[in-house]
Amino acid sequence: MNPPSLAVDAPWIVLKFGGSSVSTVSRWQQIAALATTRRQEGARVLIVVSALAGITDALHALYKASATQRPSEAMLIVAQHQHLAEKLGLHRPKALRTQLDALVSLCSCPSHSSSELAWRAELLAQGELLSSTLGAAYLNAQGLHAQWLDARLALLATELPHRNERTRLLSASVRARPDQAWSEALAARGELFITQGFIARDRSGQTVLLGRGGSDTSAAYFGAQLAAERVEIWTDVAGIFSANPHQVPDARLLTQLDYEEAQEIVATGAKVLHPHCLSPLRRSRVPLRIHDTANPQLPGTLIGPTKASTAPSVKGISARRGITLVSMESVGMWQEVGFLADVFAYFKRHGLSVDLVGSAETNVTVSLDPTENLLDSDAVARLADDLSTICRVKVIAPCAAITLVGRGMRGMLHRLSPLLAEFGEHHVHLITQSSNNLNLTFVVDEGLADELVPRLHSLLLRTGVLRADDPLCFGASWRSLYGQDKAAPSVPWWHAQRQRLLDLAEQGPCYVYHLPTVRARARALRHIGAVNRWYYAIKANPQQRLLQVLAEEGFGLECVSPGELQRARGATAKTSRLFSANFASQEDFRLATQDPNTLITLDGLHPLQHWGLWFRDRDIGLRIDLGRGLGHHEKVRTGGVFSKFGLALDDLDAFLDLAKRIGARVTLLHAHLGSGVLDPHHWVRVYAELAGLAERMGTVAALDIGGGLGIPQYPDEAPLDLDALAEGLAEVQRVYPQYELWMEPGRFLVAEAGVLLARVTQIKSKKTLQYLGVETGMNSLIRPALYGAQHPIINLSRLHAEADTLYQVVGPICESGDILGKDCRLPRCREGDVLLIANTGAYGAVMASQYNLRTPATETVIE
Amino acid sequence: MNTPTSVSDPRTAQCFRLVRCCYAEGTAELVYAFDAGPELIERIHFPGQPEPQPGRRKAFTQALRLLHWVAGTSYYKAGVPAEISFDDEPIDSDSAALLDTLYRHGLAEFAYRNQLQLGDRIHFPADAKLPEHAASAQLSDRVLVPMGGGKDSLVVVEALKSMAAKATAIWVGTSPLIAACAQTTGLPMLNITRELAPELFKMNRMGAWNGHIPVTAVNSAILVLAALLYDFKAIAFANERSASSATLEYEGQKVNHQWSKSWAFEQGFSTYLQRHVAADLQYFSLLRPYSEIAVTQAFSHLPQYFNHFSSCNRNFRILSPKPADRWCGQCPKCHFVFLALAPFLPKPRLLSIFGHNLLDDESQSDGFDALLEYHQHKPFECVGEGAEARAAMASLTVRSEWREDALVARFRQEILPQLDPQDLPLEPWLQAASEHGIPARYRPAMQWIGGD
Repeated sequence: MNPPSLAVDAPWIVLKFGGSSVSTVSRWQQIAALATTRRQEGARVLIVVSALAGITDALHALYKASATQRPSEAMLIVAQHQHLAEKLGLHRPKALRTQLDALVSLCSCPSHSSSELAWRAELLAQGELLSSTLGAAYLNAQGLHAQWLDARLALLATELPHRNERTRLLSASVRARPDQAWSEALAARGELFITQGFIARDRSGQTVLLGRGGSDTSAAYFGAQLAAERVEIWTDVAGIFSANPHQVPDARLLTQLDYEEAQEIVATGAKVLHPHCLSPLRRSRVPLRIHDTANPQLPGTLIGPTKASTAPSVKGISARRGITLVSMESVGMWQEVGFLADVFAYFKRHGLSVDLVGSAETNVTVSLDPTENLLDSDAVARLADDLSTICRVKVIAPCAAITLVGRGMRGMLHRLSPLLAEFGEHHVHLITQSSNNLNLTFVVDEGLADELVPRLHSLLLRTGVLRADDPLCFGASWRSLYGQDKAAPSVPWWHAQRQRLLDLAEQGPCYVYHLPTVRARARALRHIGAVNRWYYAIKANPQQRLLQVLAEEGFGLECVSPGELQRARGATAKTSRLFSANFASQEDFRLATQDPNTLITLDGLHPLQHWGLWFRDRDIGLRIDLGRGLGHHEKVRTGGVFSKFGLALDDLDAFLDLAKRIGARVTLLHAHLGSGVLDPHHWVRVYAELAGLAERMGTVAALDIGGGLGIPQYPDEAPLDLDALAEGLAEVQRVYPQYELWMEPGRFLVAEAGVLLARVTQIKSKKTLQYLGVETGMNSLIRPALYGAQHPIINLSRLHAEADTLYQVVGPICESGDILGKDCRLPRCREGDVLLIANTGAYGAVMASQYNLRTPATETVIE
Repeated sequence: MNTPTSVSDPRTAQCFRLVRCCYAEGTAELVYAFDAGPELIERIHFPGQPEPQPGRRKAFTQALRLLHWVAGTSYYKAGVPAEISFDDEPIDSDSAALLDTLYRHGLAEFAYRNQLQLGDRIHFPADAKLPEHAASAQLSDRVLVPMGGGKDSLVVVEALKSMAAKATAIWVGTSPLIAACAQTTGLPMLNITRELAPELFKMNRMGAWNGHIPVTAVNSAILVLAALLYDFKAIAFANERSASSATLEYEGQKVNHQWSKSWAFEQGFSTYLQRHVAADLQYFSLLRPYSEIAVTQAFSHLPQYFNHFSSCNRNFRILSPKPADRWCGQCPKCHFVFLALAPFLPKPRLLSIFGHNLLDDESQSDGFDALLEYHQHKPFECVGEGAEARAAMASLTVRSEWREDALVARFRQEILPQLDPQDLPLEPWLQAASEHGIPARYRPAMQWIGGD
């Protein structure tokens, strides 16, 4: 059942399908369905296909194989196509047989007349010729009247100067522009065509290849020649994301990009499209849309001409690794005609292509991409020799280029300060920004990129420099589209306790702790089999009942002061305790040594040097500053030096000597590196590193890898993956079974179990801002002021009303910083409404003060 | 006899007892005790649970005893008591001499670090008479290659492949990195695992003496057992010439961190094996004639291993694709391998292996000074000689792409002027020495490594 014939001037749509999209029956069914719907839209359709998955590699292997091996390798390729043909319900289609015979004869007698390279191009072209032949047979069997088109008749490679035989035949390019005569001739022949990606012809009619990623480029060439309405690339992901989603699962789908932005993003790292495929489309103003073959309902990315109406925004961040910098220093270059010309001539001579350039009056620094020539030849050595005749050379590597892309980058610079602050801590080798104003690139040590990119992306989101709220440009996050995400977030406990909480709030501001939630968190952790002992870091919330509950759940208690020790003892005397005070006095340690069930952890030499007697014949713990070891880069190293916690690694031997002399046994080795961490790999590394150290120490029985288990702070942040954590820890434990593993979480156990309740006092407007005052502020909850922490704020009195008003939620303290929540979207509030500030069970009440002589919120426990 | 269960501090013990050893169902059990304390049982597992062939029983029994004695270093050192005794049967004078040497030299670094006088303490009683010369065990013409995850064993693998020898990669322990390296070689693989007596950890916590043991000797003895069980005539280690040079002197004795990788140990052990275990068993190091530098040069031609190997023994227990997880970049091994590869690889390639330019990092200067033996003694690690390191560094000072890097520039300005230029060329280090124990059967493999 075919749609009615199309008008001569009906538009063209080019559909391109990659290897994995042409290798199964269901994918071919989908191709047939898409071809049908596009024709029903009133368009002529040209389908461009890649070779079946794995075939191009198999042809490569065939090319490399010896003449005797080739026939058997070829038969494997033949069998794969015949197998798919059968599954497609095709009975040995003649065209396919002819094409397969061509392959066999090609490999059994390498052509004598043509060159080795020409033969290679011919051989590698067979994959697409086969898949398109198979496709044509299938589409026709479905009654679609598809015509097979030889791409080589349509695409003529451009002759470029300075190209050797190899690039001319294997990495050809085509200057494609709208060709009305050709498209009309094609239209006269039919309405549905299927052709090959990756291949073209040269002037002599010889087959040439378009290089890696060539099928996308073919589709773009066809789109340009046909002046198509659009080109659709069907692949295994919905489109281009704001960062590499494997590294940044919160990366957003870019629903719309202009050609230039898209070109920058794909050239600096996104692998979805080949960088070559955009320029033919840009010249002919043909839009390109990317779609996910497996999820055709997703919006995908549309790339087309600039749209002025969108808000300026950074669109993406990427990192390219393996970058080498060449820094050239000379006074001679100052105002010297031709200096740079000489310099660049050397790069050309050694076949090295320069990417980024930064210059000062006496220095020019350029970057080189990690090409084969760079890595595996002596090109850099020879280049440096040549350059050293005219300047001082330094070769800096391995580096990573971190690039922000977005139209109007210079106009956004002032909003990038939080991001620049991140870079401030590292060694930035080079910064570049070009006059097209599309990008800003920082070249840093390569080891930094893995950690830096996710952090920068998250800052881009938080600061609103990446306008994820603009639906015209941004879609959902990769995590929500593809993540193996756990079931929808559970409803917070306080929904079910609403009336009780509203009643409690009548007594004035108060914290309420929900013990079943504490128990649930504790049990979730106890599930991690590799951890032999858990301690609760009671500084997070030393409320007596919480301590008892956690002790019942099998947690020891970790204390950092005599006061905490006393509280822990009072709550539950039998529970084992850790005392890990930092810069505590001699008296503090004396008290701790008198506390039974308590293991003391030291984090410096001073206590052993001066008060060694307290530790004679005792087991002690040692907190070490892994600073240098972890991550091996500047940031962590300076972090080590600038942190007051932990014994410097350099002092380890001295510490052990002292301990031995005194007769103290170091049985626990401990490190704690940070808080609010959501990456499970963090603890795995700390664990492995501590184990490595412990092995050299002998007396160690247990490793304490600290806490810092984070809870999501921002909307869309995924919770810590406890399964992944358990798995990673178990892997290390298999290697180091001799050590017990301890952990000491705090916030993770109690934060979500606590809420702060406070009633609305006043409302004030200032131009566009609405201030919503509540009866307590930073005197009860200082985290927002201290750390910029974000806590969800809810109007509990109007829980189900629409949140339609933007408020700045502030307290009554005489400080400009007394803000509990910025830009909170709430239902319209009235005096006396009860606001609930969520996730305040940790570092809330315990950090409260009497500032302004206002009594802070009280505490209540719900069993 | 009562078997007490409580562990006491072995430093107070009078006697170290080698209790017994046995083998069944693929597991060798080695039993030790201090005085009348609890039995310390080490277990070594051989995959596939092979049984010794009837014709090799005698050789096997002797190899098992040898392993028992050699692996005793791990336990003896916990207490270093004055007396050593054998519960099962006495040993002969050859064996006692081998063990005296092994324990004295193999534990020399341990003694130095703990400031113990061991030399006069270690004395193995020889109460049995010398047996007859061992017969041939009729072993097959196949070779075991112990893998370490570093460059050396990979060079041995490729050298043996070049002469089409029938080689099998073998390693002791659970390191995923070594397993991954072994996998990359494409050779058949054998993985032997070792469980130390758990009481040893308890003793360590009580303050038992602890430190370096001659682990290559223990692994060698394990491999001898493996050769007899799995039918291999040869064991080809990857110990270089520089393994023979001492780290320092202490109590009039040379302290060599890698003594059990030295030529002296190889000779003594090999002679002992042929005299007492099996006349046809070949134990040797294929890299003995070569310097670290020469082996590193050979390795620089094996790019297939660049992203798998690691010589760093701090970080490499956990497998990870990131260079920073394979190379800590801080330890002497990292420093040495980086420096030794630098003359032979394109700079960007070398830096991509390590993920970090150690020679442009001023905070590493002490570490490199130790390698160069400049103001410092050679580190207690398996690294090359100071003169090798100086030659490698000197070669970088004339390379334009290296000379401005912080530590190369510092060497050029501060250290180089104090050195005799005649000692600095790299070429002499690439020559093979004549002192080695490589059997004629395996000498063709030397051609691949080069330098003769």
